Amino acid sequence: MNKSVFIRSAQQISFQQPLSNEWMSSPIFTTQSLVKSLNPQFKDYLSPLEARRMGGLQKRALVATLKVLKECNLEHPDAIITGTALGNLICTEQFLESMIENGEQMLSPTHFMQSTHNTIGSALAIYTHNHGYNTTYCHSQMSFDLALQDALMQMDLGKISNALVGAFEEIEDGYFGLLQKSGYIGVHGMDPCSEVTVSMLLTSIAEKENLCRIAGMCICRPQGIDDLVEQLDAMLQKAGANRTTISAILSGKNSNPSCDNYYNELLDTLFPKVPTLKYKQIFGENFTASAFGLYCAANCLKENYIPEFLYDPCRNLRCNEISNILLVNQERGKDYSFILVQKI
Amino acid sequence: MKPIYITGAGIISAVGCGVMENIESLKKGETGIGPMHYLRSRHTDIPVGEVKQTNDELAERLNITLPTTFGRGALLGMVALKEALESASILPGQIPKRTHFVSATTVGGMDRRELNYSNEKKCGKWGAEIATYNCGDFTSDIAERFGTFSSVQTVSTACSAATNAIITGANMINCAIADIVVAGGVESLSMFHLNGFNTLMILDREQCKPFDANRAGLNLGEGAAYLILESAESVRKRGVTPIAILSGWGNACDAHHQTASSPNGEGAYRAMKEALEAAGLQPCDIDYINAHGTGTPNNDQSESEAVKRLFGENIPPLSSTKSFTGHTTSASGSIEAVLSIYAALKEQFLPVNLNWNTPMEEGIIPVTSSKSKREIAHIMTNAFGFGGNDSCLILSRSNL
Repeated sequence: MNKSVFIRSAQQISFQQPLSNEWMSSPIFTTQSLVKSLNPQFKDYLSPLEARRMGGLQKRALVATLKVLKECNLEHPDAIITGTALGNLICTEQFLESMIENGEQMLSPTHFMQSTHNTIGSALAIYTHNHGYNTTYCHSQMSFDLALQDALMQMDLGKISNALVGAFEEIEDGYFGLLQKSGYIGVHGMDPCSEVTVSMLLTSIAEKENLCRIAGMCICRPQGIDDLVEQLDAMLQKAGANRTTISAILSGKNSNPSCDNYYNELLDTLFPKVPTLKYKQIFGENFTASAFGLYCAANCLKENYIPEFLYDPCRNLRCNEISNILLVNQERGKDYSFILVQKI
Repeated sequence: MKPIYITGAGIISAVGCGVMENIESLKKGETGIGPMHYLRSRHTDIPVGEVKQTNDELAERLNITLPTTFGRGALLGMVALKEALESASILPGQIPKRTHFVSATTVGGMDRRELNYSNEKKCGKWGAEIATYNCGDFTSDIAERFGTFSSVQTVSTACSAATNAIITGANMINCAIADIVVAGGVESLSMFHLNGFNTLMILDREQCKPFDANRAGLNLGEGAAYLILESAESVRKRGVTPIAILSGWGNACDAHHQTASSPNGEGAYRAMKEALEAAGLQPCDIDYINAHGTGTPNNDQSESEAVKRLFGENIPPLSSTKSFTGHTTSASGSIEAVLSIYAALKEQFLPVNLNWNTPMEEGIIPVTSSKSKREIAHIMTNAFGFGGNDSCLILSRSNL
């Protein structure tokens, strides 16, 4: 990555106070295994007619995006790039259920129309009359990271100078039960399963309002630990950093041992003396939750403050100075994503 | 923009397994669309473009132990990926470093889930894994059959997804993230999307008739295709011969409606224009257009308008190969790129537009004779998706 890229604005809707960074001072904790989003006042952004026509996830995605665009004083971003593992899950489940139960008869097109994964990204374009580059990545735990990588590539190539990048996920009880049986979420003692809405604007323009700089990123499926270290070190070096210059690591640990073991092994081997942070205890787990991580790191860098509850209890190290944060996301010890963000 | 070399391809569709069979069918004018035979649906009156093999027959081609637990889409993907890798001299288990896999799908593993759906409420871990098998798991299964790619990615923008996967791959090479990207898409037929398109009332009960005044909708198809995209340096280093060049691409959003295209084809026009500009070509340089051409009244009208806006009076020969394969949705972008490369650029013939009889009012007259009036050097392929995700590729003859 050769050009400077900044996060100009980022907004979230989760089970924390929506569209706000109140979570930094007044976080909401939960002991439930499944927590839905706390919806903002949609009527502040959408007319009642518009709101009625849209599903919950679509409304959250749109409202978070409208707030980001307003903060940036921008009408049309150059690109809208979306990461979502499951898209409009509720519509998909409803269409599937009625198709099977009604024996493929008497079906309404509405749920099908909303069920494709790109519905959210294209709905954002339709609502904001945006003809720019528009695409959607649906690759499980890497979906958001891939969307971010695409934005960085196009900025690097000079095709765009800003991009709206978002991560969107919803959940319903039946599907949660299935994910729980599969062992992905809902494991005893694990961080809650949540819904994801994160929208952010990346820009190549240095402005005082920017939250942080994205100094580098790398998505890989390494052929063993040596390959992983080589790729990570190459990314850090290109960003003018190395493993000893990292202020803190923000990992995707979720208190499910089958997931955390991969993180622990990596962090203990490569970063034994670096303070580690985690965010899923307050934002929850879902496939594109890594976007909460980037949102969280951007806010910590902007405020120059790491709330105590973000520190990973398994490591008793605290940050003296926060100049950068390395984000780590992984799936099944197979796919890894590293993002280096710096204070401006 | 540096050119991206295409050094291999693999395909499976209703008109054949492998590049050779597909091109033979195009030459002979034999469609793969017919009565439903493999898909289990009550709507047997709807013609479809099925791959003429059972899941077990597909698995046998891949030496997978029977009965296979893979879904149909994964098997189709593996068959196409195997051919693509072999044609580019990449051996299974020996994927070169900095080789990535970017694959498109929407249906993913839905075909397997819908058959197991009635057991879901009381299923165990395996049943839950089938139910929650997502697009990323699906792509990983296809990739892992052949070794470890440097990254594995899934793009899902409905019917333009495979084209967008190719665009992502090209950008990765241009940004020096990758030396080689295997990019394309895969879609199997499912009850889910057959019923979905049926509720939208855009399925023709007969063979689809793209660009015909009496067109009545599309026929769904299935298949997979992958292209091996490669940097010039990697081509030289590996000593492989390119089959074509990916010289330009464009992606724009119609931003009009979730399932309908705008009357003036704004998104399509922008995607084509951007692709031409990226390739450094003029409209008159394009020798053939493989249209999106679904056969729905809305698409063909909107696409005609966009093509007329960009090309004016001098519209190049244009056809929709969906009259052979059916609309293979998320795979269509790569399937049609492979068909166009081999037919038009390599063998210098124009795939005809089957079932066309009556011109649309102020519409485009598609190709009905496969003989090209001039040498074919540059071609354009269009893929437009739900939500107005419109994309376009320009493919050129390689002089290497």
